[in-house]
Amino acid sequence: MSSDPKIKGYEFKPGYSGMAADTASDQTMFKGVHWGKAMMWIFLLSDTFIFSCFLISYMKGRGSTPVEWPNPSEVFALNAFGVPVPLLLIAIMTFVLITSSGTMALAVKYGYERNRKMCGWLILATAIGGLTFVGMQAFEWSKLIHEGVRPWENPFGAKQFGSFFFMITGFHGTHVSIGVIFLFIYAYKTFAGHYDKEKRGWFTSMKGNYVEIEILGLYWHFVDLVWVFIFAFFYLW
Amino acid sequence: MHVGFIFLAVIVGSVLFHIFTPWYWTDIASNWGSMDDTITLTFWVGGGVFVAVCLFMVYCVFRFSYKEGRKAEYKPEDKKLEKILTWSTTLGVAALLAPGLIVWNQYINVPKNAIDVDVMAWQWGWQYRLPGEDGKLGSTKVENINDNNPFGIILEDINGKDDVLIQSDVLHLKNNRPVKILLRSVDVLHNWYVPQFRAKMDAVPGTITYYWFEPNKVGEYEVLCAEYCGVGHYGMRGRVFVKSEQDYKNWIEEQETFSDLIAKQKEIEFSEKKLAKNNLND
Amino acid sequence: MSEDFNDSKTIQAQSSETISGGGATPTPDIDYVRPAELPDQDLYHGHSFITKWVFCQDAKVIGVQYFLLATFTGIIGLILSWLMRLQLGFPGAAGFMTAEHYYQFVTMHGMIMVVYFLTALFLGGFGNYLIPLMTGARDMVFPYVNMVSFWMFFVAVGVLLASFFVPGGPTGSGWTLYPPQAILEGTPGSGMGIILMCVSLILFVAGFTMGGLNYLITVLQARTRGMTLMRMPLTVWGIFTATVLAMLAFPALLVSALMMTLDKVLETSFFMPTILKAGEVLEYGGGTPILFQHLFWFFGHPEVYIVALPAFGIISDLISVHSRKNIFGYRMMVWAIVVIGALSFFVWAHHMYVSGMHPWFGFFFATTTLIIAVPTAMKVYNWVLTLWRGNIRLNTVMLWCLGFIVTFVNGGITGIFLGNVTVDVPLSDTYFVVAHFHMVMGIAPLMVIMGAVYHWFPLVAGRMLSEKLGKWHFWITFLGAYSIYFPMHYLGFIGVPRRYFEMYDSPYITSAVGMNQFISTAAFIVGAAQFILIYNIIVSLKIGKPAGKNPWQANSLEWLTPTVPPEHGNWGDKLPVVHRWPYDYSVPGAKEDFIPQTTPPSEVVETKVEKT
Repeated sequence: MSSDPKIKGYEFKPGYSGMAADTASDQTMFKGVHWGKAMMWIFLLSDTFIFSCFLISYMKGRGSTPVEWPNPSEVFALNAFGVPVPLLLIAIMTFVLITSSGTMALAVKYGYERNRKMCGWLILATAIGGLTFVGMQAFEWSKLIHEGVRPWENPFGAKQFGSFFFMITGFHGTHVSIGVIFLFIYAYKTFAGHYDKEKRGWFTSMKGNYVEIEILGLYWHFVDLVWVFIFAFFYLW
Repeated sequence: MHVGFIFLAVIVGSVLFHIFTPWYWTDIASNWGSMDDTITLTFWVGGGVFVAVCLFMVYCVFRFSYKEGRKAEYKPEDKKLEKILTWSTTLGVAALLAPGLIVWNQYINVPKNAIDVDVMAWQWGWQYRLPGEDGKLGSTKVENINDNNPFGIILEDINGKDDVLIQSDVLHLKNNRPVKILLRSVDVLHNWYVPQFRAKMDAVPGTITYYWFEPNKVGEYEVLCAEYCGVGHYGMRGRVFVKSEQDYKNWIEEQETFSDLIAKQKEIEFSEKKLAKNNLND
Repeated sequence: MSEDFNDSKTIQAQSSETISGGGATPTPDIDYVRPAELPDQDLYHGHSFITKWVFCQDAKVIGVQYFLLATFTGIIGLILSWLMRLQLGFPGAAGFMTAEHYYQFVTMHGMIMVVYFLTALFLGGFGNYLIPLMTGARDMVFPYVNMVSFWMFFVAVGVLLASFFVPGGPTGSGWTLYPPQAILEGTPGSGMGIILMCVSLILFVAGFTMGGLNYLITVLQARTRGMTLMRMPLTVWGIFTATVLAMLAFPALLVSALMMTLDKVLETSFFMPTILKAGEVLEYGGGTPILFQHLFWFFGHPEVYIVALPAFGIISDLISVHSRKNIFGYRMMVWAIVVIGALSFFVWAHHMYVSGMHPWFGFFFATTTLIIAVPTAMKVYNWVLTLWRGNIRLNTVMLWCLGFIVTFVNGGITGIFLGNVTVDVPLSDTYFVVAHFHMVMGIAPLMVIMGAVYHWFPLVAGRMLSEKLGKWHFWITFLGAYSIYFPMHYLGFIGVPRRYFEMYDSPYITSAVGMNQFISTAAFIVGAAQFILIYNIIVSLKIGKPAGKNPWQANSLEWLTPTVPPEHGNWGDKLPVVHRWPYDYSVPGAKEDFIPQTTPPSEVVETKVEKT
């Protein structure tokens, strides 16, 4: 997939001059890139701006609140065998999510190899990884709520801690949940052979194609990447 | 043809309107004449460009309107002309920007001899606080505001004891003495604006903003709220009197300080207690 | 969709034309255009009334749907402005008008006009209709998503209008929705009104994102053979760049709307500091209202260019076609659009010079703002230079173009006043600001919309609009609107603050009473004149002169479809092949004064074309 696609009558040039030539050419700017893939990239760019706005607001809010910010390694500690281990749950959550990124990448690979079974199982594994992540997040939320943290109040310090935490992890969790729903749908479609048979979609009436799995994969990797930033900003700062 | 004439009339009319308008800025009463100068400069440059571009357009309409069989010129680009236009525009813009930045620099740097004035805004009204003999205002806190402490002054702060409290929307200022307006709000955004002084700044709850000016004309002025603050916005007015040194001195000596207020309240409390005691004894 | 090109398959070529390269001596074919990279688009053709006209996947129908719904909300905005002007010119004339109502109307008028009217009309309306046609695509790349985009917009408008009927009415916090007042009592509609406004905005952003992705990918990845980026009409460039801005600016609006909703519903304190209300300290604390302003204007300023850039693009094409001359300095125009778009992300805080942000920002944002004036001025020069030595048809379309130039230059110049930080201090929050932005992003884009309607109506409907009615419409609108907003600047000089329900008898305001009455009267007339257009459209649909193919002798692809109006799929059996830019008007040596983009060089060998 890394090599340039063959396009009749078009000669690829290396480096920047190639980029300029592609831009100046007719028909397409990104040669051989599927429309859906290009669309997902631009959507993710837009989504990056959303998360950037959230995180910048968080930094501004944290910086300007007069009350002290709670210490994350205490708030997010988990008792394991009677010892509070800071960031234990988060470490597991992060591990699970990153692993699911790996299975997703493999699913894309097997998809392009038209290995229907392997592809389907790996998508399912990714979906289960995502589900586990959401479940652990729900556990963490309920733990914090149990301890009295709310969007509008926080016994450990600044109110904004609860507000930003629930809002940003909630927004990210929504992304993960939507991803999980689509992963299940795509796993079904893979097993049912919709991509091999080019079966038309129920809503869009477009022909099925394994490239859809790669597109969903892009989304999934993005959601993981965002989590790394949230992790760094909320738990390590 | 009539098209060109109407557009010409619009442009000439605009210029004439500007020259003969009875509506123009209110007479300035502060040091910010430099702001008016930057506006005038922008008017000349900008107005010149407006008239030039529009007259050029009108000329084209007269000269090149459709004639059967005539062919337009074919000239996709003219590098030289484009370069000249770009650079002359850049130059013009820089000429407008530079004075603007210089005056802004004056605007945000307050002179040392400026008197602090605490302007406190709420929905929908103003009140003011001036420093006492120490020349310093005591710090404040929204949570402290109550009937006994209308400005929310922090009681432990000694600077606040001699602060002059003006619980009305009428402020008096000394002529020819810079003032630093310190704005704060207890609820929503406001903006303490006197058109004659030109200067303005929003009052933002949770923080203190400032600007400064030097009133230079004795008289009475109206204060307007210039940031939308809810349904009573349009009625949020106040007044400023700019007074000569002696008049100002007379006025400020009559005003109550924070310690006067505390003393008065203690007296009231004391008499109330006494009254209650007497009643009990009866 | 069948563009399933895997590595296993090579991409199918549609053309059997000679291919250059490969070491062999290339055949000297001057008409050579590279073969198609992509197979033909697989389209879903509607076959019932519902799939053809309601939930339709044809970008042209979606464009018209956007146009009609945006116009409908625009008319509501117009009526609201009438009510406001009635109060300002003749206080108390409308008996029911309270301050609450006035502020609600101000807010809804602003929000409707900026977002639900202008943005939806330019990007959703003109974008959908023109992008596929002008780039030579059969449709948008994802017609289904495109359809959902419109219906999301429909729901967003529904939610917005629903706020008129909830307890407390729509929000009256000004279109900028500044907290804290937007969600505190003392502002009309601080309950359900503001919540519905935020929800509606979030829906709008979601819907717009779906459409925007389509516009971008269609321009980037679905152009026809021979259509390079630098052969696209400026209309497409304008809409394309505006969509890029929208994709990057709307996130800030989404985030601010979401945070404000949480502040209202869950009583979080993102934007809420400690507040004393009616003698009691509220539950809020520790938030910062300025953060909202930064987020809002990070969206809000690009939003201005989201409206302006399509207008720039469209006007360039209209001027060029109707002065029978190429647009002067095409490359400069493209770069100006791109540079303006990029710079628009670095100027947002010029709306906040007196907001209480750190004063040093003033230096930076004044500089960036005035830099934007340079590419903008270049565009203006190029428009008037296009007229120079042209062969100007003074028809209705050209009148709107001339009206646009006058109003845009006027509004642009006053923008230099407000962008220059010091000059802004006395003028901000006065009627000068109101006059400025109405002139530059109200009237000027409106002139473009009107010109575009008169220009493209023959394509959409197959019939011409009445020129006579059009001229009346233009002169009343242009002269009326100019006499509304030109004098209004002078109210700002006096110091009349904006968003005042009533002036009472302030000394410097009494002199303005007469002017306010004049402005209001003009506003009633201008508003009413817009119904001339609606009448014109309805009548012309029935009895207008049949337009035929390419009534304006234009070059760009949308006029070269096999049928007028174009059908679903646009191009019949064969996609057009593009050989030149869309501005070959009055080329020396050519028989006619225009050479359509599809004309191959071999047919016009005798011409002296400088650039194709």
